[in-house]
Amino acid sequence: MTPITRRRLLASAGIGAAGVGLGATGYLIGADSAEAVEGEGTGSVAFYGEHQAGIDTPAQDRLHFAAFDLVDDDPKALRELLQEWSLAASEMTEGQLIGDVNSLEVAPPDDTGETVGLAPSSLTVTFGFGPGLFEKRGLGLAAQRPAALKPIPPLPADELNELESGGDLCVQACSDDPQVAFHAVRNLARIGRGTVVMRWSQLGFGRTATTSRSQDTPRNLMGMKDGTANIRAEDTGAMERHVWIGKGDEPGWMRGGSFMVTRRIRMLLEIWDRSSLEDQEQTIGRRKYSGAPLGGSDEFEPLPLDEEKDGKPLIPADSHVRLASASENSGERILRRGYSFTDGVDESLGELEAGLFFIAFQRDPEKQFVAIQRRLGQFDKLNEYIKHVGSAVFAVPPGARPGGYVGETLLG
Amino acid sequence: MNRLPVRLALLVTALGALALFVSACGSSDDTSPSGDATALAFKITDEGCSPHDAEVAAGPINFEAEGDSSSVTELEILDGETILGEKENLTEGLNGSFSLTLEEGEYTLRCNGGSEEDGTLTVTGKLKSANSPEVEKAIASYREYLEENTAELTTNTKPFVAAVVAGNVAEAKSLYAAARIPYERIEPVAESFGDLDPRIDARENDVPASEWGGFHKIEKALWAEGTAAGMAPVAEQLLADVEELEAKVKKVDLQAVQIANGANELLGEVSASKITGEEERYSHIDLVDFKANVEGSQVAFESVEPLLSKSDPQLAKEIEADFDKVYRTLEPYETAADPGFVLYTELTKADTRRLAQSIDTLAEKLSQVPAAIVTGEAG
Repeated sequence: MTPITRRRLLASAGIGAAGVGLGATGYLIGADSAEAVEGEGTGSVAFYGEHQAGIDTPAQDRLHFAAFDLVDDDPKALRELLQEWSLAASEMTEGQLIGDVNSLEVAPPDDTGETVGLAPSSLTVTFGFGPGLFEKRGLGLAAQRPAALKPIPPLPADELNELESGGDLCVQACSDDPQVAFHAVRNLARIGRGTVVMRWSQLGFGRTATTSRSQDTPRNLMGMKDGTANIRAEDTGAMERHVWIGKGDEPGWMRGGSFMVTRRIRMLLEIWDRSSLEDQEQTIGRRKYSGAPLGGSDEFEPLPLDEEKDGKPLIPADSHVRLASASENSGERILRRGYSFTDGVDESLGELEAGLFFIAFQRDPEKQFVAIQRRLGQFDKLNEYIKHVGSAVFAVPPGARPGGYVGETLLG
Repeated sequence: MNRLPVRLALLVTALGALALFVSACGSSDDTSPSGDATALAFKITDEGCSPHDAEVAAGPINFEAEGDSSSVTELEILDGETILGEKENLTEGLNGSFSLTLEEGEYTLRCNGGSEEDGTLTVTGKLKSANSPEVEKAIASYREYLEENTAELTTNTKPFVAAVVAGNVAEAKSLYAAARIPYERIEPVAESFGDLDPRIDARENDVPASEWGGFHKIEKALWAEGTAAGMAPVAEQLLADVEELEAKVKKVDLQAVQIANGANELLGEVSASKITGEEERYSHIDLVDFKANVEGSQVAFESVEPLLSKSDPQLAKEIEADFDKVYRTLEPYETAADPGFVLYTELTKADTRRLAQSIDTLAEKLSQVPAAIVTGEAG
């Protein structure tokens, strides 16, 4: 079952030995000295496990996300790709250079090298499968398609750009060092050359979600605390109920996995910045600086959804927190893991091209993200200041066992 | 892990043998000499080098110099007036060394500023060829292609130059593509001759304006300005330069790994300047160059393919298939009329993306060929 890959072939031909010299330098030191401080700073996060890392891992500061399209409907090529990707991801998360050929004068090194001397920096690499993968006849995966894996339907207030949406496969690389995250996507794209083509990619420069009780709530680009009511990984009950595909769920190959929805949400920051503090707070439903619900004083106190002031709800009916709250959504919640982004200047406006790259994990996108967003897209006062310009959904398979690969439960 | 040093040693030996061929025309550095190099020791004195003359067998030579003067501090080995190797700033008491692989012949041994500055280094005997018959065959096969194309370049440049000199813009434009094709097929070799490639093929701003000449300067005049006025001397110089190239490639040293790398460089040319429309920015015949680059790359690859087939037959097959894919991707853009392809300006972003991806896929695999060849030769 050992994957026969290009690099392995070369290694068996005797060339591999040359690579190890460099592989053993600097980058490894971080791994050795790391005290396994999961998800914080320079330490390493295990790649192998029951679940893929990068979901319940405390949210790292940086993101590089990429969506790929498959070139041919060749199940063997797909399997080999996932085997090579998993192996490379495990090497990178440990802070090692990938591959075997890294010091041979006449050959381009397997690893592109920009992480030499850097610590593993909590790198996680999370793989997902888009709906398109199950529609390719040559792959023969139609019967295995999870019922919950449907393209996100058109939603109110969508302004989607096809070139920033969808994809057959995805790679979410998160790290506390931006270069480590970039390196992961770059090298996986290189390994995939000929099998997949990158469709779109997104850099995120700051986390906008908290996924652990050990973390403070960060602020998004609107200056608001984001993710106060997010699911925390320590709340295993909520993780089982809302995020992980359970032991009795179908299809069996998804057990231990989850579904990921991404939305590229452009913020109209110039307009937001010109609205009054009161307007901003009424739009969100929280105080800007403390993060407390309107009428409250502490960030973590429950939303007073039933309270009124001067005959009006204290938390406005069209405010973001009310519409997004579990109690207004039949108890449904999602695990958010988004990042702020900026991609230079909007050419047609001369304004900042910036916003939130929203990532959410859940058991059933239709019941969770789609249901919540349908209401938000229709009623949310925040829509005055945002546009959803990219959208994608992926089935995130369970984690791999050491020696195995992500996707093995599907592809065998 | 314990097997590692042995493997590594094998590999280094193999690389060493190849490196020997690159350095046949002379190179210099501070690396320690290989085991079978001949050592030649000199003192640098006020009079010059001591000994003043020397004789040595052809092959790798390690020159060891010891400073013994405050004013004369440099040792150089020259072929005519070309410095092959040197060590500078060796004042009294300082030592230094450099290595060269020299062929049979007489070289100048110079300690600059000495009262008897120049001596003679006589190298005798033949350099041993480290190449197997398969490698020699690969090199011979590529050399033939190289010489064919530089000859064709001269043949096709002549009428183009004549039209430019005659001031016939329309005819010059119609002859331009045919002259470009043979050059684009073998460009990496032209690049190995220092300023010859910039003289023939520089784009505006690649070189100072006063030095700009060659194909693209004429291209700009013909297409952007619609005239050949003032281009006659540029055209005549171009012809002289391509003739010089034709003469030079006949003497160029080639080695298998270099040819394999050349195949890869040609695809790099495609990615960097043809898919982007930067190469032929006035005539927009970038796809003509694109195909010529790919053809040149394919012939270079096919020359070394028998070596690769020993170590990695699967890779060889995949590369063949990927070359076919590139041609298939290019096919829809071919036209019956000159210059044989649609102009770059007619391509959409989706078109260029498709073309770029086909090249990237091929190039990623092609870049593994040099290493695979070395492995094959070592094993």
